[in-house]
Amino acid sequence: MNAFKAGLVVASAAALLAACGGGPPTEGGGAAGEPNAKTADYSQWLELTGKERHDVLVTAAEKEGKLSLYTSLSAEVVDELADAWEETYEDIDLEIYRASGEEVLPRILQENAAGYGGADVVETNATEMEVLGNKGLLQPYQGDALQRVPAEGKFGTWTATRFNVFAPSWNTDIVKQGDEPKTWEDLADPAYKGKLALEIDDYDWYMGLHDYWRAEGKSEEEIDKLFQAMAANAKKVKGHSVMAEMTSSGQFGVAASNYTYIVEELKADGAPIELEPLVSPVILRPNGAGLMKTAQHPAAALLFKDWLLDDGQQVLQELNMTPSTDLEGDLGGTDHVMLDVEKVVAENEKWSKGYEQLLSGSAGTN
Amino acid sequence: MMTTASPAVGTDTVAASAWWRRWLPTPKMLILGVVGLVIGYLALVPLYYLLWGTFFDADGVSVAGFERAYGNSQIFELIGNSLWFAAGAAVLSLVVGTALAYLNVRTDVPFKALFFAASIVPLIIPGILYTISWILLASPEIGLVNKLVEPVFGSGTFDVFTIWGMIWVEGLHLSPIVFLLMVAAFRSMDPSLEESALMSGATRWQVFRKVTVPLARPAIVASILIMVVRSLESFEVPALLGLQNGIYVFTSRIYFVLRSYPPDFAAAGALAVGLLILAIIGVALSNIVGRSGKNYQTVTGKGFRPRPMELGKWRSVVGAGIILYFILTVIAPLVVLLYTSLLKYYTAPTLNVFKTMTLENYRELIGMSKAVTALRNSLILGIGSATLVMAFMAIAAWFVVRSRVRGRQVVDQLAFVPLVIPGLVLGLALSFVYLRSPIPIYGTLFILLIAYCTRYMPYGMRYAVTSMHQISSELEESAHVSGASWWQTFRRVIVPLLAPGLLAGWVYILVVSFRELSSSILLYSPGNEVLSILIFEQFEDGEFTVLSALGVVMVLTLILLVSIAYKLGAKVGLNRTN
Repeated sequence: MNAFKAGLVVASAAALLAACGGGPPTEGGGAAGEPNAKTADYSQWLELTGKERHDVLVTAAEKEGKLSLYTSLSAEVVDELADAWEETYEDIDLEIYRASGEEVLPRILQENAAGYGGADVVETNATEMEVLGNKGLLQPYQGDALQRVPAEGKFGTWTATRFNVFAPSWNTDIVKQGDEPKTWEDLADPAYKGKLALEIDDYDWYMGLHDYWRAEGKSEEEIDKLFQAMAANAKKVKGHSVMAEMTSSGQFGVAASNYTYIVEELKADGAPIELEPLVSPVILRPNGAGLMKTAQHPAAALLFKDWLLDDGQQVLQELNMTPSTDLEGDLGGTDHVMLDVEKVVAENEKWSKGYEQLLSGSAGTN
Repeated sequence: MMTTASPAVGTDTVAASAWWRRWLPTPKMLILGVVGLVIGYLALVPLYYLLWGTFFDADGVSVAGFERAYGNSQIFELIGNSLWFAAGAAVLSLVVGTALAYLNVRTDVPFKALFFAASIVPLIIPGILYTISWILLASPEIGLVNKLVEPVFGSGTFDVFTIWGMIWVEGLHLSPIVFLLMVAAFRSMDPSLEESALMSGATRWQVFRKVTVPLARPAIVASILIMVVRSLESFEVPALLGLQNGIYVFTSRIYFVLRSYPPDFAAAGALAVGLLILAIIGVALSNIVGRSGKNYQTVTGKGFRPRPMELGKWRSVVGAGIILYFILTVIAPLVVLLYTSLLKYYTAPTLNVFKTMTLENYRELIGMSKAVTALRNSLILGIGSATLVMAFMAIAAWFVVRSRVRGRQVVDQLAFVPLVIPGLVLGLALSFVYLRSPIPIYGTLFILLIAYCTRYMPYGMRYAVTSMHQISSELEESAHVSGASWWQTFRRVIVPLLAPGLLAGWVYILVVSFRELSSSILLYSPGNEVLSILIFEQFEDGEFTVLSALGVVMVLTLILLVSIAYKLGAKVGLNRTN
């Protein structure tokens, strides 16, 4: 019987090791550098332009018959995009894996490490796109559509498709007209004590606002003071949807850093929530799309990206999002500053920790 | 449904000669071996992945993760908050769950069927919705209950954003686990022991304290164990209620270290290892308590008929108390959910609001393309994992409690391991293994089934072991003496006696599997969506009103399923067979 038990332990350990290949599963399973699966050849299409490119791509993509998109776009937007895509390209099945950016990234890294080419196109937050690009998994894009994307939306291996716009929003029953925040500095006003809400994951916003204030000529001490006053005013909340919901229900008076499209949607439903006049400048964070080097359906992938930067942009606009090809038109003259995406990735730990400490009230800002 | 165990092994077809038989493992050994292997495999895959990530980095062995996880001036405050929160929630759920179970099983309390369904409703409502309902009820700023009592007690009487609020919400949300465990325990308890005590002049309270509670000790210990680990791990309640006023707990840290890029698996792993050690001590303790002699074996060779205790004049008082309790803890959150599901955005109820109510959110739900697929997949996974887990754990429980194999405790410990592994880590571990497996499991529903079986194994094991502690071995022995094989005894004697516990575990797994998200989200693929993914999507989109509608539909679906399960279960349970 004792031998049985020993056998059991050994056998299960052996089965396990065999299954794992003894491999190191750290860091999301991804070894940096090059893709592990067979890479696709995009070169035959990238140089083409105009109608010729479109026709060649459609023929090739219909032959492939399928397209796999990994995205953190919200379900509602994805559904609209999928409908619009199917109307135009009914012979190219669009398969969608949808999760938050924090899950899309490890999933792709994990698949790549195992030589599994699951995704053809990725559409997610700047931070995650930047990591994928740094790992050499994305095929640099070329195409007519790039002419319409502003310089701040063009990155080495991926292209911005839309911008998330950070701006304060407030409950109109609690914050009377005239009392709403007009500048970012206003959020530090003690008048908002106990009414302000900060989102616990918005360290990128925190860095963006910090950098903007630095560029304005404020000293680190002044900036620290402002943030600490904000933190002293604030209740903390997790998730931008909860933040919006709690603002419109009156739990919070002012939400410091919500995405404008979430607020606009609630406002359109008639909720007592407002974000206009927008604080100037609003802070933009790009979200973008990239072509996977290991795509199983490269023609469809390229066609999709062309489409997303063209007809797809209208779908985004109709859903209150800020499309990358019509930034000025969408913001209607409001000043904006762009988040330094490369900096967020490179100094991720510093800002993430600094913001966490600010919120938990234990230390200075950074 | 409960009796279908692993591959049936023909016991009477072995007609080979003696030498042949000696080399062949007996069916009993074969079955136990397979079950042990499966448990070991399911538990060790994520554990190995977790430990590797915790102790190894690019340069070899390292404990830097522990430094990053625990080397923080706030860690003591975090642990203090966590323990306080976990202990409070555990006590509350234990008291509530046990009291409800006792009243339901052992007394002639009124409205029993309704009572039963209502007791497990908090389990069905997704944690995020349950918590938000409580914010809408008991926030000092907008809480409806606060508005209601404001004329009497002034504004902001109840504050859900405190540690007490967190304990309240978590404790109530977890109480169905205790309820189900205790229902099983009370059903298998011979009331003649209590009756003798009563006859000997003990008061009801004395009987409860001195007879009933000691007899139910294995179930109580199992409950405390699960509750404490679960509350230490809980994130929804601390995130939505605690963070607002800066009450940070243990899991807040796991969340933060996994959030940044690259995710700090070493630090998250180090925190999980802390939980693991705690859990292992807990399992060992609960087995010592459960094992001390035959004290808890209330199902013996003597027949007994569980007869409800008459409450007499207290019946109406207890009935009123139960109704009050349910209005407060079940009906109120459900009504908030129902109310929200009829709105376009949440707003406090006024006459005007009632005029604008619509069924639009339900219409949207029906129109959702993935809703039907997701419901089907959730049903397949829920019923599949509940059945597989309970079948395997029934055998494993026999192995742990009854067999004399040395080291059998290891199986029990292993089965408990998945409880402390963060869902995201489990998802990563499984995708890591099955992306490399020659059998195409990645990208199918099977990988989700494996994930669910792994996640719910700890609960299945506790439900099965607890019931096994109550069954006396003399019943098996008489079956053996009468010539039954081990497998026959197991199927014909043990499984029917275990039925209340197995059924309770089955119901629990079915219900919670409907809202498993953290590993599903990483492992599903297009076409394999499950309901919890839809909930998450609605949540991310800020569609709270649609989400509430989905919540209402889920509650109704699961109440229906649970009722059917109990109708079927009652036929094999102890209630009718005696």
